[in-house]
Amino acid sequence: MAEHEHISCQEVVELVTGYLDQTLPPEEASLFEQHINFCDGCEWYLDQMRTTISTVGRITEEDVPPDTREKLLTAFREWKRS
Amino acid sequence: MSETGLHDRTAVDESELVARLRAGDERAFEALVERHYPTMLAVARHYVKTRAVAEEVVQEAWLGVLNGIDRFQGRSSLRTWILRILVNTAKTRGEREARTVPFASLAPEDDEPAVESERFRGADDPFPGHWRAYPGNWQRLPDEVLAARETLDIVIATIHQLPAPQRIVITMRDIQGCDSEEVCEALDVSEGNQRVLLHRARAKVRSALEGHLDG
Repeated sequence: MAEHEHISCQEVVELVTGYLDQTLPPEEASLFEQHINFCDGCEWYLDQMRTTISTVGRITEEDVPPDTREKLLTAFREWKRS
Repeated sequence: MSETGLHDRTAVDESELVARLRAGDERAFEALVERHYPTMLAVARHYVKTRAVAEEVVQEAWLGVLNGIDRFQGRSSLRTWILRILVNTAKTRGEREARTVPFASLAPEDDEPAVESERFRGADDPFPGHWRAYPGNWQRLPDEVLAARETLDIVIATIHQLPAPQRIVITMRDIQGCDSEEVCEALDVSEGNQRVLLHRARAKVRSALEGHLDG
């Protein structure tokens, strides 16, 4: 039998985005999950990344500038008439 | 920038808005403009030099959306379809504007680890590649710390300083709630490159938060 397959913490942190997007190949995803299950450091890293994403998600961007809104509405009314 | 995310709102039934738009409902048009404007402007800015031209591109693209809405069949998301019109408009315009930064610069540069290699044990250690010291357990942090304006400001400043390709990908994915397909379509990047850019961007934001929260 080959040595029991595993991945290191350093490899885990590079797979986090693929894991969260569910784009890892099945074998890699299962190695990732096995690692997370026994490694507190990586579990906390994954949690930090989820927290990071949700914090970024609290940013909202600027509203439509009023003059753009006016121009677009004018264009819309012309389109509607045509 | 205010505090309520777009993510929840984007789920609202788009086919209803499309039907109302076809019927000439101005409120539906306004709702769609509000929903898609930030992403459109960010993507347009990627293809043309100035904000003013990007604004014009967005406005021109909306005309394309109105004139083409009867042909939208819902095979892709409405956002993908709108972004495709936007990109075509921007590219035409971008050529006229002779944008100086080549679009190929979206390809990820050299290797850039998500976490500095010094934080892991070396090759001569019995546990190579394992944490020297664990990252912090943020679940123990009081909610107020994460919710603090200061924390959000650090995140905003970090995103602002990212290289442009990373900045636009994290903006589209994590602020505007686009999926990877929409990003790839809009920026003309492969799924793999999109993921690398997102990965690096998120890693830098995490690292900045770590400096703030655990420092």
